Amino acid sequence: MYMVTLSDLFKEIIMTIRVATDVGGTFTDLVYIEQGTVKAVKSDTTPPNFEQGVINTVDKANISLADVDFFAHGSTVVINAITERKGVKTALITTQGFRDVLEIARGNTPDIFNNCYQKPTPFVERHLRRELPGRLDHLGREITPLDLSLLPEILTYFKSLDIQAIAVCFLHSYLNNEHEKAAVIAIQQYWPEVDVIASYEISSEWREYERTNTTVLSAYVLPPAQQYLNKLNEKLAEKGLKNAPYIMQSNGGIATLKAACKNPITLVESGPVGGILGAVAYGKVIGDENLLALDIGGTTAKCSLINQGETRITTEYMLEKTQSTAGYPIKTPVIDIVEIGNGGGSIAWIDAAGSLHVGPKSAGSTPGPVAYGRNGTEPTTTDANLYTGRINPDNFAGGEIKPAQQAVHNAFKKLGDTLGVTAMEIAHGVLKIANSNMVNALKLISVNRGFDPRDFSLMAFGGGGALHATALAKELNVRKVIIPPFAGVFSAWGMLMLDLRRDYIHTHKISITHDSKTDIGKAFDGVITNALADYKEDGFSEDKVMLELYVDARYHGQEHTVKIPVPGLTLENKEFIDTLSQRFHQAHEQEYTFNLEDSAIEIVNIHLVAFGLLDKAEITPVAKSESADASTAIIGQRDVDFDELGTHNTPLYNRELLTHGMKFSGPAIIEEPTTTTVILPDNKVEIDAFGGIHIHLTY
Amino acid sequence: MTIIQANKEPQQPKSVDIFTIEIIKNALIAIGEEMFLALKRSSKSPIIYESLDYGIGVTDAHGRLISQGNGIPGFIGTLDAAVQRIIEKFDANNIYADDVFILNDPYSGGGTHLSDVCMIRPIFYQHTLVAWTANKAHWTEVGGKDPGSYSADATSIYQEGLQFPGIKVYEKGIANQSLLDLIEANVRLPEMTLGDLKACAASLKVGEQRFLSLIEKYGQETTLTAIDKLLDHGDTMVFEKFKMLPKGDFYAEDIIDEDGMGHGPFVIKVKVTITDEEFICDFTGSSKQALGPINCTMGVLVSAAREVFMGVVKPNAAATDGCFRRLRVECPEGTILTAQRPAPVSSYFESMVCAADVIRKALSSAIPDVLTAGQFGSVCTISLSGINPLTKEPFLLVEPLVGGWGANIIKDGESGQFCVGNGETSNIPIEITEERYGVRVERYEFNPDSAGCGEFRGGKGVILEYRVLGDGADISSFFGRGITPTWGTNGGQNGSCNYIAIIDSDGNEKARFSRKSRYPLEKGDLIRLVTGNGGGWGDPLKRSAQSITKDIVNGFISEQEAIEIYQYNQ
Repeated sequence: MYMVTLSDLFKEIIMTIRVATDVGGTFTDLVYIEQGTVKAVKSDTTPPNFEQGVINTVDKANISLADVDFFAHGSTVVINAITERKGVKTALITTQGFRDVLEIARGNTPDIFNNCYQKPTPFVERHLRRELPGRLDHLGREITPLDLSLLPEILTYFKSLDIQAIAVCFLHSYLNNEHEKAAVIAIQQYWPEVDVIASYEISSEWREYERTNTTVLSAYVLPPAQQYLNKLNEKLAEKGLKNAPYIMQSNGGIATLKAACKNPITLVESGPVGGILGAVAYGKVIGDENLLALDIGGTTAKCSLINQGETRITTEYMLEKTQSTAGYPIKTPVIDIVEIGNGGGSIAWIDAAGSLHVGPKSAGSTPGPVAYGRNGTEPTTTDANLYTGRINPDNFAGGEIKPAQQAVHNAFKKLGDTLGVTAMEIAHGVLKIANSNMVNALKLISVNRGFDPRDFSLMAFGGGGALHATALAKELNVRKVIIPPFAGVFSAWGMLMLDLRRDYIHTHKISITHDSKTDIGKAFDGVITNALADYKEDGFSEDKVMLELYVDARYHGQEHTVKIPVPGLTLENKEFIDTLSQRFHQAHEQEYTFNLEDSAIEIVNIHLVAFGLLDKAEITPVAKSESADASTAIIGQRDVDFDELGTHNTPLYNRELLTHGMKFSGPAIIEEPTTTTVILPDNKVEIDAFGGIHIHLTY
Repeated sequence: MTIIQANKEPQQPKSVDIFTIEIIKNALIAIGEEMFLALKRSSKSPIIYESLDYGIGVTDAHGRLISQGNGIPGFIGTLDAAVQRIIEKFDANNIYADDVFILNDPYSGGGTHLSDVCMIRPIFYQHTLVAWTANKAHWTEVGGKDPGSYSADATSIYQEGLQFPGIKVYEKGIANQSLLDLIEANVRLPEMTLGDLKACAASLKVGEQRFLSLIEKYGQETTLTAIDKLLDHGDTMVFEKFKMLPKGDFYAEDIIDEDGMGHGPFVIKVKVTITDEEFICDFTGSSKQALGPINCTMGVLVSAAREVFMGVVKPNAAATDGCFRRLRVECPEGTILTAQRPAPVSSYFESMVCAADVIRKALSSAIPDVLTAGQFGSVCTISLSGINPLTKEPFLLVEPLVGGWGANIIKDGESGQFCVGNGETSNIPIEITEERYGVRVERYEFNPDSAGCGEFRGGKGVILEYRVLGDGADISSFFGRGITPTWGTNGGQNGSCNYIAIIDSDGNEKARFSRKSRYPLEKGDLIRLVTGNGGGWGDPLKRSAQSITKDIVNGFISEQEAIEIYQYNQ
């Protein structure tokens, strides 16, 4: 749906610097692009003053912020505040009769056999959840006017207990926000210093518990997130940055600093989605837009499916949900990611019945894998990669650690003795089971949603992605694996390529009949007006805003919905409805294997995605090398045990020496400071114009 | 450098390594989970997609449970029994690929009450029957004398809805249209019922596809070997945990107040015997079957025992047939737990919940960190029907309610949870209730009753209020523990009772009951649904002052009550 205008075609190349920074748990990354060339630096993350780490990377890269016209920033400040319970003391004001909604939650017990189950504790204790009279009905009509006379007493109580943030959530406010608005204004008048946020500012979807909890968590993180973002902005301005930085959101786009400060819960998954967006962006650059993106880190593996360059957005995000606890819902748009407890540090163990498992327990950084020599005795996936020769002992952890090989052998031997197999067999078993766990996660995002992995390329990154990718691809019959460049700073890299993005999701029920087009058009009109107004405030004229229209629809009587794009509103009535219905039946069939073509369809939510388009600097491709011969990049050979594919004396390539157009066949190992790529026998390798490794599998 | 050809046909490995077996085991378990989600997301019944009142899974060719996705643990013993019933009933030559069977008969294997409909599909690989997929889901309507196919006052199963005795609804992929027409003509909400039938059938197919792709990848023999290993693994893990269980005989009994017809109380009695090898639940001595619909059948009783067994043994393994080899359930025929045709069973969960609770009660002092004092002890279901005043369409609201759980030796009871054993059942959001049904919700908050005090106090029940907005509505209720509150343990106080009060538009209470069939409501009436607090654990005088202060600040107990019960002084 991109509109190409004449000004785009004749746009001058702008000679500026674009910068993206990403604060991770250990390192803060900075990636910048200048005259088509990408460069990256890393620096230590500096808790609790994370902005200092960002400044350090700027200094290290030696760039003048005065020349930078685009500065994007991703951080884990919001998720950290929640998981470490370091938000502020928060109170809730809600509809009379319903203060316990937050604590009753949904009443479910995920750990179904557990008589001693413990519900997640609400973020606001009961005495800080207060009620106001005033009621709307399910059509948004006022039944009882809002009575604010109790408010002074409530706020005095909150003040006496040093409340710092207040969440406001009333029933049916997704249809009519007048009561919430009035309450917020009254609170601000009475107590200007307190932070207050209402549910309509965050979510316009029904389900009061989910909306209330989201509002409460938003209030809980509001002050720390704002403080952090403002401090960062000041520091960057001091160093000469002209425009405020853009902030990475969970929905796959960036926001202006001002917008992020107003609604920081949208940053909740800002970290994990970064890598997925890197995959989207790299896919666009190389023209491969059907991808399974896989990020394998130290403790977890995350994956997401990219279909025709699009990620799937959900507002059914759950924080801290596991098989044994219900977790907390956050109804903010988040890229749909499946995460499993399987990373490089995942521990291999044998249960009482002699079954081998890998993860979810992780060795972390202390003691870390056995190979670290920090007295760890439980072998991890990383140890198995080392023991089977996939990781170069001389280049372990970037060459910084000399691996404790005897300890690794002993650890595997001990496990092997329990099961009556050799240490090498058990190391292969660990890799097999770790791979199978990851294959199951990749199936969840593909096969289980009606997508055939054979139609996708697997793009792998993170410290462990390239080690496992070819084996996973083989299991899934994927034909191509891509290991992108800058895989170690992939989140930041992806941010360079983004536009501003806002998602407007409103519960708005419309039953589809032959003349619903007008209703659908009308429903979007108001939202589009809001979107254009929001972007106008950011300084974007209408021609710089691109709109995508979706609806969440279902068959009459169902509860769960399927998201489909809305056909062009310029179509005539019948064609519009026919196209919309057809898209829905197909989407339902893909997702659930059947459709009910005779059933009525109803729209539950309208969903507008509005992009604020930014000028983007292009990455310049590198010219093809004269010869396809890659032997100049070979730096050695060693024996690598490929399990059922045999042990081979395998050439080692230095990734930095591999250039555009080089080709070679597996088996091979490609090394770079942050990761190792395993090329199986029979794989064919080719290097693209941007330094990405393309591995072709044959079946 | 040597180049060897990749093994392109891993289907027939010579010897199977132990790790491949592990991988197949994990994949089998994942199938149950996937089938579970597929049905949740495509169903048309709130009781399926919101209450998650269903179970789904895979058995081997003999009907042994391999993998199950569960919304509620109580279905854990019913899918395999249903498959076994089909195997027993049909000649193997009359079972074909793409057949789907339907069964809800409580008096043959696998049935619970008629609303819980089981659908069963054989899986063939190269013309050999290798496994079955099956699901069991609560359908909102299967006909019978009352809307929602529940009756508080049925006296025989013939009043409770259509009975499917294990028959084919699809044969070789072709729907039995006569049967579908018959269903359509006999249920009140045919669109919903037939929609669920289709969603259930589709989810079975998902399971079949996944199972067959495993066989195609690893070969039939390897896959079947992995199944045996998976079942053995369950038993080994259980046996390992047996070493830590207390051994001996443990006794408990409790009562069900009434059967909806004014009879009662009924006694549920258990002797639990744990030896080094076996876990036996003997319910001999429980009351004879009731005239009202609170009976359950042997298959349900086995499920209740399995549910508690898994929670007590905690084997850290997926629930498979193998986990239950050491569990034995005994009870003579014709009791309230082993009713005989044609006893009514639509509220079967009341006796099931009580049977599970008495096993826990028997063991709670012996393993106090695993079990708790008594919970509110009832699924507390209502069935509210009427005409939506806005749309003029009939509505039927069937929902269970949350209440208070028991305390134990380390913590207060949980507040506002569905009945122990209701698993992933979730409440219906207020904003959705109001949009869909002709009521306004006026209150949803914790029960202020102070009952359930103790060193650790019982969890809080709730008060949920519905204002009736149209004429001609009525309510049926199925609340247990309307007279006898749940128990406290080790000196903790008892919890409180579950009941419904009807208040007219002038604010006068005009009725109060726990079990009632089709009580007529007037426009403007307020339905107050009250669920009980759980039982306390330990002497209230030992409760910490800090905890009491917190309870007062949070309005869980008044200062006056705190002084009286806890001898609290600031």
